[in-house]
Amino acid sequence: MTKNKAVIEAIRIVAVVVIALMIGFVITAMVSKEPVQAYTALLTGPLPNLSFENGFAIKNINRFGNWMEESTTLILLGLAVAIVFKARQFSLGAEGQMLLGALATAVIALKLSIPFPWHMLLALAAAMTIGFLWGLLPGLLKAYLAVDEIVSTLMFNVIALQVFDLLLFNWLRDPTAGFVGTVPFPDSAVLPLAISGTRVSWMIFIMLAAVVIVWFLMERTPFGFELKMLGANRKFAEYGGINTKRVIALSMAVSGILAGLAGAHLSMGLLKRLTINLSPGLGFEGIVVALLARNDPRWVLIAGLFYGYLRTGAQIMERSSDVTREVVLIIQAIIILLITAEQLFPRFQEWWRARRNNEVAIERG
Amino acid sequence: MSFEVVLQSIFSAAFIATVIRVSTPLILPAMGGLISELSGAINIALEGVMLAAAFTGVVVSGFAPQWFPGAPEWVYALAGGVVGVLVGMAMGWMIAFFHLELKTDIILTGLAMNILAAGGTVFLMFSLTGDKGSTSTLDSAQLPAVQIPLVNNIPILGTLLNGENGAGYNIMSYIAFVLVAVIWVFLYRMSSGVHLRATGEMPDAAQSVGINIRRTRYWALVASGACAALGGLYLSMGYLSIFQANMTAGRGFIALAVVYLGNRNPIGTLIAALIFGTASALGTRLGTMAIPPQLVEMIPPVVTIAALVLYNIRRRARLNAAARRFQEQTEAAHA
Repeated sequence: MTKNKAVIEAIRIVAVVVIALMIGFVITAMVSKEPVQAYTALLTGPLPNLSFENGFAIKNINRFGNWMEESTTLILLGLAVAIVFKARQFSLGAEGQMLLGALATAVIALKLSIPFPWHMLLALAAAMTIGFLWGLLPGLLKAYLAVDEIVSTLMFNVIALQVFDLLLFNWLRDPTAGFVGTVPFPDSAVLPLAISGTRVSWMIFIMLAAVVIVWFLMERTPFGFELKMLGANRKFAEYGGINTKRVIALSMAVSGILAGLAGAHLSMGLLKRLTINLSPGLGFEGIVVALLARNDPRWVLIAGLFYGYLRTGAQIMERSSDVTREVVLIIQAIIILLITAEQLFPRFQEWWRARRNNEVAIERG
Repeated sequence: MSFEVVLQSIFSAAFIATVIRVSTPLILPAMGGLISELSGAINIALEGVMLAAAFTGVVVSGFAPQWFPGAPEWVYALAGGVVGVLVGMAMGWMIAFFHLELKTDIILTGLAMNILAAGGTVFLMFSLTGDKGSTSTLDSAQLPAVQIPLVNNIPILGTLLNGENGAGYNIMSYIAFVLVAVIWVFLYRMSSGVHLRATGEMPDAAQSVGINIRRTRYWALVASGACAALGGLYLSMGYLSIFQANMTAGRGFIALAVVYLGNRNPIGTLIAALIFGTASALGTRLGTMAIPPQLVEMIPPVVTIAALVLYNIRRRARLNAAARRFQEQTEAAHA
């Protein structure tokens, strides 16, 4: 992409976000008695409140923490989606990979007792491995047997959910708890805190490392090159001597590693246990992040921070006004619709030009 | 618990009645998925359409008595159903508009619709009823059950034809089976159905003989939305009589897989939907007998993946055989 094109693209994306937020405000105004107050909470809620009264301090650190927690999960999921989308594979398997990733950490955390760093590291490794395998399977089916990855990954999600419930209900569940969930993980298998007073854990560093690694993988390795060639044109990539089958399978598997890590973040970082209905639908949230970032890992970081901000703001809005947090899902849907509508802006330009020409014609009589 | 008990409970009229009830919300959206799939436009948004229609049906039938008091109960139920179907059609039209006019990727548009429905229903539910979980405070109408007269006195047939309690199946179950027949006739006995299949199979060839691809896909997606909406309405106005957040619970996605498992034709799709329904009913039943229901519910997705694998292996073998024949023929011609 040339510099000029990139700038136009960036402007387009920002315009889409602004339009979506404006539509969101109109919708809020239709149902709320205090739409401005609600929307202010949405848009400024997660900002840390700096106070200089008794020396420097940050008030509401937990809100800032929520923002970072949300964003960490979303960026990992966004990276997972960006990798498969870059290769033009429509894998929707992040949801299942995330669930199994979380499940794997629970098995390691609760069934083994090992001293601190190793226990945590082993749990993380387990989450990454299961994510890799759960992505590799549909990847192999797509690459070598041309099994449509949309249907297969959706089915793998269903299977993953059943495996999750099966093990949770019959093996891992704490029967004395009032809800369906495990006992808290031992400290040796919990991610250490990065910011006290929040739940922001070391996962934020792992996430940052993942951004760098995925960027390096995409931009500085043969695999990344093959990934992009495959995404640009599969036939052409094949003529160029690229083993496209291997790249298809690997792209979905590598994507699974990141989704598995997102699952580990939920269990080892945020909840510190495993519960039923871990986070339904979260696996699909990576899509909007990857779309906003145009599948560029560096922009996934920015887009994830933005979308995490919006989700945190929505939670604050829900607590402080009469509008539910689901308004953010509506905004998200509008963003996806508008950002993928490549013809929207050219069409608008056409319409604008036609209208102007019309006016000129009318003026000229 | 013995094996015989399991078998007895499976091969009973009551079990078959359960299977029909559980399969109905799969058959209806799967028919929608089939139509759009055959036209060459995959509809990922079956899930979202179901959810939106389920919500609309409950809200319209629940609030209609306040807007138009004095009408008989069935009018409210009908109004809920009709508006629900209209919402489904509108969503199908929106997908078509974004995909065909604004050139969006149809998969991403479908996913956006799912997110819109998941968020929109909870958002509106809260502002209408003050509850985020369900519409239990709203007194909404139910779609009627259809009882077949006289057969209740006949032991097994009564349960089979009118369900466990003899009250009859919900009208949507009948609509589901009728719809399968209607779609079969449409696809294989009507010219517009042939046009639809041609559009999906070979768009260029279809266009060259004057079929309007764009219009065909528009209608296919709108019809797809209507079918999925019927499935959603059944969930909130038949299966249950309230709307719950995310009450479709992935049925729309399963319906999509059902189309593939059913080899992309109406009869196969019906059978595939019944397989999923049977596994789900069996899971619930075995759950009471200390067999984890999750194990049973895992079977249909595994079968679906296996079916896709087999289908592609067979297709590849066929293509290879055809290529070999072609090669032999050309060699024979040159010799």
